[in-house]
Amino acid sequence: MAHVTFVHGIANKPPAEDLLRVWRRALADAAEPLPLGDLGVTTSLVYWADLMYEKPQDDASAEEATGEALLDASGSAEQPQPANAEEAAFIAAVRAKLTALSAAQMTAAELPGTTSGAQGTFERVPLPWFIKKRIMDIFLRDVHHYLFDTEFAPPGRTPVHIQQTIRQRFVDAVCGQSVSRPHIVVSHSMGTVIAYDCLKRVAACANVDGLITIGSPLGLDEIQDKLHPEWTRANGFPRERVAADWINLYDRLDPVCGFDPALANDYRERDTGVVKDIPVENDGAWRHSATKYLRQPAFRRSLRGMLGL
Amino acid sequence: MSLTSELRLQATAALQSLAGANPLEGIEQARQLVEQLRDSRQYDLMSSVAEAVSRIDPRDARNRKLYGQALIECGKATAAIDVLEALSARLAPDDPEFGEASGLLGRAYKQIFFDAGDRTTVGARDAFAQAINAYRRPFEANPAANTWHGVNLLALVANGRRFGVVPPTDLDAKQIARTVVAGLEAIEPRQRTSWYLPTLAEAQLGLGDWDAVESTLRQYVAQAEPKAFPLASMLRQFTQIWDVERTPRGAGLVSLLNAALMKLPGGVCEIQISDLQRAQDVQPTPGQLEAVLGQHGAQTYQWWKTGLTRAMSVASIRQRLGSRIGTGFLVRAGDLGLAPADQLVVLTNHHVVNDKGESPGLSPDQVEVVFEAADPGTSYAVEKILWCSEPDVCDACVLRLATTVRDIAPLPIARRLPALGEGAQVYVVGYPGGRDLAFSFQDNELLDHEGPPGGHPQIPGVCRVHYHAPTEGGSSGSPVFNSTLWEVIALHHKGGKTGMPRLNGGTGTYAANEGIWLQSIAEYRKT
Repeated sequence: MAHVTFVHGIANKPPAEDLLRVWRRALADAAEPLPLGDLGVTTSLVYWADLMYEKPQDDASAEEATGEALLDASGSAEQPQPANAEEAAFIAAVRAKLTALSAAQMTAAELPGTTSGAQGTFERVPLPWFIKKRIMDIFLRDVHHYLFDTEFAPPGRTPVHIQQTIRQRFVDAVCGQSVSRPHIVVSHSMGTVIAYDCLKRVAACANVDGLITIGSPLGLDEIQDKLHPEWTRANGFPRERVAADWINLYDRLDPVCGFDPALANDYRERDTGVVKDIPVENDGAWRHSATKYLRQPAFRRSLRGMLGL
Repeated sequence: MSLTSELRLQATAALQSLAGANPLEGIEQARQLVEQLRDSRQYDLMSSVAEAVSRIDPRDARNRKLYGQALIECGKATAAIDVLEALSARLAPDDPEFGEASGLLGRAYKQIFFDAGDRTTVGARDAFAQAINAYRRPFEANPAANTWHGVNLLALVANGRRFGVVPPTDLDAKQIARTVVAGLEAIEPRQRTSWYLPTLAEAQLGLGDWDAVESTLRQYVAQAEPKAFPLASMLRQFTQIWDVERTPRGAGLVSLLNAALMKLPGGVCEIQISDLQRAQDVQPTPGQLEAVLGQHGAQTYQWWKTGLTRAMSVASIRQRLGSRIGTGFLVRAGDLGLAPADQLVVLTNHHVVNDKGESPGLSPDQVEVVFEAADPGTSYAVEKILWCSEPDVCDACVLRLATTVRDIAPLPIARRLPALGEGAQVYVVGYPGGRDLAFSFQDNELLDHEGPPGGHPQIPGVCRVHYHAPTEGGSSGSPVFNSTLWEVIALHHKGGKTGMPRLNGGTGTYAANEGIWLQSIAEYRKT
């Protein structure tokens, strides 16, 4: 038997059970299906969208849809308010990797492809700027709140420490009674930061057999700097708790991972590149969709191999 | 626990409460439960709870209407008519339940008409006329509020002549269709129910606007949680009344909708054996595939075609020159640990065929095997039983046929049982309710199994599998498939609407079907 633990990424999500079903279906309904349930593989999900949003996304089909539909369900995020100079520098630096445009310029840049000669990854993404700005705001908020363990809650709830709470959920999931081996962690987007952080830096976390990251922002220097001292470029591979492979799939036009999508050079093991980076090409303008990655034949081949199926 | 299982428990509790010392305490909850049972298609229980509510509050018009609906769904159309006519007679015409009761009367009469062997008899024609009247009254009184009456009226008026009856000459099908479409489009988006799109599609069909029909159904299938019941009802209308399969485009549409339906929880598809081969040959155009099933339609459709292909390997076990006594299916001998490995054998239940002919089974010389979908004209005698296991162990019997089966593929066997607790579904392919001429594909919830990692087999070496009891009982010896790959996981051997002891040390009984994991049969055979 085997088990897969999924970790979702930025933006609002449908309820955990629905999201897990959507992801499993994306694997099962593909041309080379990988129906985990039929194959006796159990699954679980580290769910944390409820920490950021008042209520879950109503329409599970938005998970498969465009960035616009996804963001309609997510609403807008307010830019994180830095508590000190370090946080301000972090937000500014990550933001600069995403786009060279100011907030005002992004708001003014109504037409897709209006780049003003800018150099960030968002300039390459063929989406309207008002969508890109909302994606950026959500991404900056989520990554900031996690890495700086900000106290936060949606309206009407008691704030919690975001990193501590999500770490506990991850640890509970990978140590759960339903987990069997081989045990593979599949994480997407901001979920890859969570998975890496826990597997590299949280002592209570159980060992797993493999890690797959999709659409990961772990290539950003600013994020790596926040994973010190456990992370180093020469020895960043989380061998402490990952027994076998780490496979990373990316799309160069995915705005979240596009700035530095390959990870083998940044997460080495004894200064040797061991992460297997696999470029893929998702369809449509919104390349960051988790289900688009899950439908990639390369993803299913990777997971099938890791599960020994 | 699934919603279906939870509702069954609630219904049992409600019936006990309503029969107790303080029945009024639970009556409000019971009233709501009647509708929930209808939505989950548990009509037997629905009628039981509605009957219990009626005994306490016979004036509850809504409950009486639902009772009538339950009776129709249980095949008791004339009893439903008595209930609904009495209800209509005591309601004021402006009572909201009046129109609903009238529409259900239309349904009951329509059912009588379509069930008639000869639709030209006086009785059948009278039922047709009564159905028209029952739908017409509320529709003409308030077309915008009674679109479902309108769309049923449309179906009868547009198709009556094909069934040998003449609709009233003052009714024009196109005009009815336009009125229904206008009425539907006027409904605020937030007020639209799960019936909205199927009703609109049928009205568009009445206008002959196929592009609109496909576009509407695409919207329905693409919804976050499309419901199986409205889609199944609409498909029945499309095939039985509109006969859309006459044209290639209509046949393609039906095939695609069957594929979509079978992907939904609770999906049931019944295909006439004579139509199975034809259903395999239907080839929707690539444009139609995407127009109805969306971006990933090709995969969904290929999955459904695979299911149809698997049905070709399912056989009827018949008493020689007699009727069907059970089901079996073709497998490779090697998959059951028998030699020669590539020989094709038929697996069925011991209680269907066994050496001694122990009742209710027959001995091998008394039976013949017919692959009714693939080769209905050929019956195979049984040469010998290669291996069998008693009903209280594996309840299995492996038959070697007297002549070699050609051009029918053996069914693939799953190596593993599906994971539990993940909304896992299984499909039982068999003969619904013992009817000879139809194959039923039933989507069933996997309830429990005794396989790894957490199972505790009660019979040493034998792993049993439990799945939700379908509306109609499956047949002994049917294959039970996993939900995506169409690989056989189990040999179906018994079922019950109640009284099945739970597995793995669970206490009490529940409604479940039981099969034996095929891998455990192969392993047990080695012992």
